[in-house]
Amino acid sequence: MTPRSKSLFVADPQTQSRKRADARFRLYGLAAILAGLVLLAVLLGTVISNGLGAFQQSYLTLEVELLESKLDKNGNRDIEEIKKVTTFGYDPLLTAAAERLIETHDIQTDLRAKDIAKLLSKSAVSDLRDFVIADPSRIGRSASFDFLVNARVDGYLKGRVTRESIADDKMISAEQLDAVDQLVAAGALVKRFNLDFILGSDASDQRPEAAGVGTAMLGSLAMMLVVLVLALPVGVAASIYLEEFAPKNRLTDLIEVNISNLAAVPSIVFGILGLAVFINILHLPMSAPLVGGLVLSLMTLPTIIISSRAAMKSVPPSIRDAALGVGASRMQAVFHHVLPLAAPGILTGTIIGLAQALGETAPLLLIGMVGFIASTAPETMGDALLAPNTALPAQIFEWAKRADPAFYERAWGGIIVLLVFLVAMNAVAILLRRRFERRW
Amino acid sequence: MSASKISARACNVFYGDTHAIKDVNVDIGSKSVTAFIGPSGCGKSTFLRSINRMNDTIDTCRVEGTITLDGENIYDPRVDPVTLRARVGMVFQKPNPFPKSIFDNVAYGPKIHGMATSKSDLRDIVENALRRAAIWDEVKDRLDAPGTGLSGGQQQRLCIARAIATQPEVLLMDEPCSALDPIATFQIEELIDDLAKNISVVIVTHSMQQAARVSQKTAFFHLGELVEFGDTDDIFTNPSDPRTESYITGRIG
Repeated sequence: MTPRSKSLFVADPQTQSRKRADARFRLYGLAAILAGLVLLAVLLGTVISNGLGAFQQSYLTLEVELLESKLDKNGNRDIEEIKKVTTFGYDPLLTAAAERLIETHDIQTDLRAKDIAKLLSKSAVSDLRDFVIADPSRIGRSASFDFLVNARVDGYLKGRVTRESIADDKMISAEQLDAVDQLVAAGALVKRFNLDFILGSDASDQRPEAAGVGTAMLGSLAMMLVVLVLALPVGVAASIYLEEFAPKNRLTDLIEVNISNLAAVPSIVFGILGLAVFINILHLPMSAPLVGGLVLSLMTLPTIIISSRAAMKSVPPSIRDAALGVGASRMQAVFHHVLPLAAPGILTGTIIGLAQALGETAPLLLIGMVGFIASTAPETMGDALLAPNTALPAQIFEWAKRADPAFYERAWGGIIVLLVFLVAMNAVAILLRRRFERRW
Repeated sequence: MSASKISARACNVFYGDTHAIKDVNVDIGSKSVTAFIGPSGCGKSTFLRSINRMNDTIDTCRVEGTITLDGENIYDPRVDPVTLRARVGMVFQKPNPFPKSIFDNVAYGPKIHGMATSKSDLRDIVENALRRAAIWDEVKDRLDAPGTGLSGGQQQRLCIARAIATQPEVLLMDEPCSALDPIATFQIEELIDDLAKNISVVIVTHSMQQAARVSQKTAFFHLGELVEFGDTDDIFTNPSDPRTESYITGRIG
């Protein structure tokens, strides 16, 4: 033993080394937290800088004359005859409109009007056709449209596409970009907020500018609904039984251990199970959010059960004693006293389970929700559950693997939407916890 | 003293393989206070909890023999522990009010037993119980305040009010004053005296002075056995068993 220092002002060597160890440990902790924060900042920075562009899109304002001679040769406004005109029939209208555009804005270019019309997205003609079919009486008049421009032009406005990068590009030429510059200066071509990215559906490989996450969002929403309706009541009921009523014996021990094991099972295994049971045996439709929801419910159940049991376990036994002591039945003790006190914990666990399920992609792979092009939004509740659809993370995955860099931007944008949902759900969990938490 | 309210005959309690209560025979009178004393772990709380079947909640616990309330065996399969507990109330060692308002704490028992027909009825029951528990004057202006916000002594009296609101015939108290200061203890003891005018009170206590002060009968437990049971005055002045004498004079325990 080292002799103890005589003075309180002088620390002995052992105390000094203890103090140093203390300081080192604090430094490690601080360094770990700082590293975490830096990584988080890098992650958020990348996501936002890459994805924010998806929320903006470039539009070209065009005055289109809906010529009767092209769209309704007989002039009788018969909807069936008008429908026979394919999108090819609408191309000349756009070319004519482009010609007028060049004149009105006095664009200096050697290009023909047809090449200017090519600046537009491929969805422009179908938008035009839909507009006419919706109300044939519009034929013969002229109307002003804000058409999406194609992804190259949009990328040029956003800085993704440059004159150097299009040297070998067959989709766009330097002359077209010159025209674009003039159109921007004239105010006909503008970049603005694009609500369709949030509300719209996925589009084909050729039209990244028209793709949106709305339909995938509906798919995710339908799945979350299924998870909430199935996993919450089943999970809470199971945990109430296991925690409050079940006898403690080997069987319940076994069940307990296996619930913990299930929570650690890789999610793709649940996907295989879903494929084997729900699709191959029960013949539920492929790619349907209902099946996705069922699979995710199975995956979320252990999380909900574990967190609900922990919440109920943390209710002091004296509260149960008190309730039983005044003659409450066990069920009354649970429902009147234990559950209300455990509710914040149960809700938090459920929301965190839901958030996990929302971001899950792997099990959806096996039931056909990854890779499905969700190009039409479901119209009824039944469709939302049973019609093939995709989910937010699956949509992001789908976009990330497509060739056009414009889709890459949309994948990042989809990640932003997903993150906003996750943050919102966690915020709700914290709020609920604060709101309902009671002390005893 | 009138006929006995509760009688235990050849009562044995086991926790798994542990024999916690060994062959206890005891008669507890009505409208009186009976004290259970003994060193820690001697089984007095276990026996107390057997009287209103609170031990049912412990899976491994097993009770043999009979305990009768007014001549009816409470361990008869026809007995619903819920009705039993409405007639045999309990107050615990640590005050355990529900995390609800003072009013709701007391009203809970009467509500679940359907004792009140109207709101004003319920208010009367609550007021009456709080008055009998000698806490009415302290809380009458804040019945909506949480019961957990009261002081320890007040919380324990609130728990007593909650227990007597269901009009029990027997009140079991498991060391009700062990967490309280002397003033709060004094208030509870006064209250016990008062309650015993109408109902039978059984109290487990570590304080021999308390047992001497409040009880008419005392039972001394040691290692799961009921060593001696008799009038409190006799137990403390003239114990017949040497173990009792050792305990009350402070040599064991």
